Amino acid sequence: MIEIASLLKKERIPGDLFTHRVFSQEINYEANSFQGYEKEEREGYGLRVINPEGKLGFYAFNHALDPREALNKALEVSNLGDKVDFSIPSYPSTWEWEDFVDPRLENLEVQDMLELGDYILSRIRGEYPQALINIVISAGREEKSLLNHHEEELRFARTFFGIGVSANQTKEGDILEVYAERSWGNRDIDIEGLVQEIIAKLDFSQRVADLNSGKYPVVFTPSGSLVLFIALLYGLNGRNLVFGRSPLEGKEGKVLFSSLFSLEEAQEPWALGSCPFDDEGIMTKTQRYLINEGKIESALWDLWSAAKRGINPTGNGFRSSYRDLPEPGFSSLRVKKGLRGKSTLVGELEEGLVVDSVLGLGQSNIASGYFSCNVQLGFYVKGGEVQGRVKDVMISGNAYQALSNIKEISRDNCWIGGRILLPYLLVEPIEVNI
Amino acid sequence: MMEDLEKLIHLPQRGEYMEIRLEKIFSTTIRVQNGMVEKIRVGTDEGGYVRLLTPRGSWWFESFQRWEGLREKVERAINGASLLPSSGIEVVRRAPVRSEEKVALTDDFRFKSLEDKTSLLLEYNRILKEISPLLVSSLVEYRDEFRQIYLANSDGSLIYWEKPDIGLNFIATARRGDNIEMYRDGVAGKVGFELVKNRENLAQEVGQKAVLLLEAPSFPGGVYDVVLDPVLAGVFIHEAFGHLSESDTLYRNEELKKIMTKGKRVASPVLNVFDDGNLDNLRGSSPYDDEGIPTGRTYLIRDGYLSGRLHSRETACLMQEEVTGNARTIGYRFPPIVRMTNTAIEGGETTREDLFSDIERGLYAVEYIGGNTALELFTFSAAYGYLIEKGKIKEMVKDVVLSGNLFQTLDKIDAVANDFRWTEVGGCGKGGQMGLPTPTGSPHVRLREVLVGGSHND
Repeated sequence: MIEIASLLKKERIPGDLFTHRVFSQEINYEANSFQGYEKEEREGYGLRVINPEGKLGFYAFNHALDPREALNKALEVSNLGDKVDFSIPSYPSTWEWEDFVDPRLENLEVQDMLELGDYILSRIRGEYPQALINIVISAGREEKSLLNHHEEELRFARTFFGIGVSANQTKEGDILEVYAERSWGNRDIDIEGLVQEIIAKLDFSQRVADLNSGKYPVVFTPSGSLVLFIALLYGLNGRNLVFGRSPLEGKEGKVLFSSLFSLEEAQEPWALGSCPFDDEGIMTKTQRYLINEGKIESALWDLWSAAKRGINPTGNGFRSSYRDLPEPGFSSLRVKKGLRGKSTLVGELEEGLVVDSVLGLGQSNIASGYFSCNVQLGFYVKGGEVQGRVKDVMISGNAYQALSNIKEISRDNCWIGGRILLPYLLVEPIEVNI
Repeated sequence: MMEDLEKLIHLPQRGEYMEIRLEKIFSTTIRVQNGMVEKIRVGTDEGGYVRLLTPRGSWWFESFQRWEGLREKVERAINGASLLPSSGIEVVRRAPVRSEEKVALTDDFRFKSLEDKTSLLLEYNRILKEISPLLVSSLVEYRDEFRQIYLANSDGSLIYWEKPDIGLNFIATARRGDNIEMYRDGVAGKVGFELVKNRENLAQEVGQKAVLLLEAPSFPGGVYDVVLDPVLAGVFIHEAFGHLSESDTLYRNEELKKIMTKGKRVASPVLNVFDDGNLDNLRGSSPYDDEGIPTGRTYLIRDGYLSGRLHSRETACLMQEEVTGNARTIGYRFPPIVRMTNTAIEGGETTREDLFSDIERGLYAVEYIGGNTALELFTFSAAYGYLIEKGKIKEMVKDVVLSGNLFQTLDKIDAVANDFRWTEVGGCGKGGQMGLPTPTGSPHVRLREVLVGGSHND
């Protein structure tokens, strides 16, 4: 595909070609038995150009194509595109970075995956013989590269590994399903922690507890707190800021949230998403604050939105696939942890809820921060003790308000999807309806 | 192409079941926001898969992009699959089908120029933007997609079909201070460019609704009698019962099978629910499913009694029931799994007005933002609603999210109106396969005592 870059150079058309290559394999277990094996190889190209009038064009393809034809298609699109205020970046030759490739994952055999699956299955069934267990184990390698009209190239590869486990217990009038996952860039996933998490969730769920509607303190587990972060990430999105769709517009430098709350974007080597450069060839920072002790420090800017705002891009232009143009996104995030253990947070609850997962994420007004969700897995706590699982309960509130009402943050934390490192958050009050 | 596939399909010789799918997708997406052509994406995508059930009954699935070297891919599947452990899975086998279905579109979007498409969007964007100065963002999104699909399987079936899909979405964001409201609506269909023309009224309506939402109060949480409009009632039945009717959720769960026994009363007698993948021109329709089984109508609930469920070849075989043509994939990267097609609550006898008449204080919930399900639990969000007082529709309200438990809620539907209609916009996600077209249909329905989230006005 270097021919495309040469052609861009020859024709003096600023542009870049994004290439995404993925190899992945996966095994599945359904209801305690092996189901099948899946394997995928894919590769795709996205050609972005800025024509002589300064207008943006784009063409995506995943098959061999004559470079001239690809360029003509992108230029044809550019005739109808709008003028953009940014230019296609150069890639300094002094950049150095490492790939994050674990050879153990590149050479993972089906047999290795099966041994792991069988082990997880036997461990959980050892404790809960009646439970129906589903497991998905996936592993693979992905590579992203960028080639620009200066014939400069950037290339980055990483491996990935993911295990998702759900356990189901069904009886008349009550279907319980608990879920846990671990994802990481190398083979070193804490299998024991994953198994223990499933067993602990089943242990706490055996009893169903009743509670009344009202306002309660809520401890959000790392997976449960996603309900608060979806709205925040929408608000920090550079395009939403530029278009005035974000309530955080004009709030940079202001303290909006609890001083306990800090959110940073950081390149944690084996975390999924962490990368030396974004999908537009802008170098990512090793560490930077989005929120620092409750104050909004920065947001997520891709080239397009940064240029509209007249600021430097922050290395946050990411593509959902080769077929898509870059939009503001993030590499890898973490919330600063606190000092006390998660069990202390729960143990000090006079009366409240632990929310581990919700149903209906992102289905309320994420622009205003309003949320209203069914608690998919949550527990009622009284006198510091977990009384049992709650059923048919809704929580609602405003995510921005909840982040300002954080009373405590745990020192225990956990990676969600291998990309966001989150602690337990105690928020008070949250509206609960039954 | 068909001749090549025919040769390959007979390569497995030990009783394997195999499918080969080849697919070519031509697509265009255009996004215009605040008068700017923010994005134009034109692309072609091709690929396929080999899916093979080994003689020992476990699945091998390999997806790829290059169509060449198919024989090697099939041979690799046969050899690779022989190393997999035994799982005892079997599938229903059928007589071979030969079919070629080409689509003739009234106003074929493939022959429209990018310029025509873009200028239509710019015009809609202008109309939307001019509705009110309170609209900080006016967004118009257009997409079209044309798929060509070849499917061959061990029944000896060779099928070619074409699948057009087109959609237009309006999203308006209104803002006053920190109060931000978003409203969206659109059209979608398995038709030509005519669908997206003359939608000026819809553009206006979306802008007006976003502004009205700024003024609307949040609906207070609690338990209410609720009337759902046809759009939301369709989402409700999809989430509340459709997913549990997909047999892959229960075929290996003996306890759940007992709960979902055919002939059991699961809902009030006014409720009839069906899934039908063979209706003319709906986005969930196709002559065959992605395993080459003819599609058709399956009643899930008849007069309140559970009467059927949705199957793939695998689940039908294990449960010893008729295969229903509900194995679907979103594309060549994924294996077909049990999915809904077009799912609906059948129209009843009551007039729409009668649904409201005896509600003292309740909620009329309209249009949808989304829905979600986790077996017995489900939740779905209305775009907005109206307060009902003493049988009358009163002020507009927002932030309406309804939630429930399958075992309790279906029985609470006590009236079904006679104003049935289909809604084509929207897609469904399951098992990592997002955005599958699954239209829903329904008339207005009434539910008693439903849990609605939100703050109490105290």
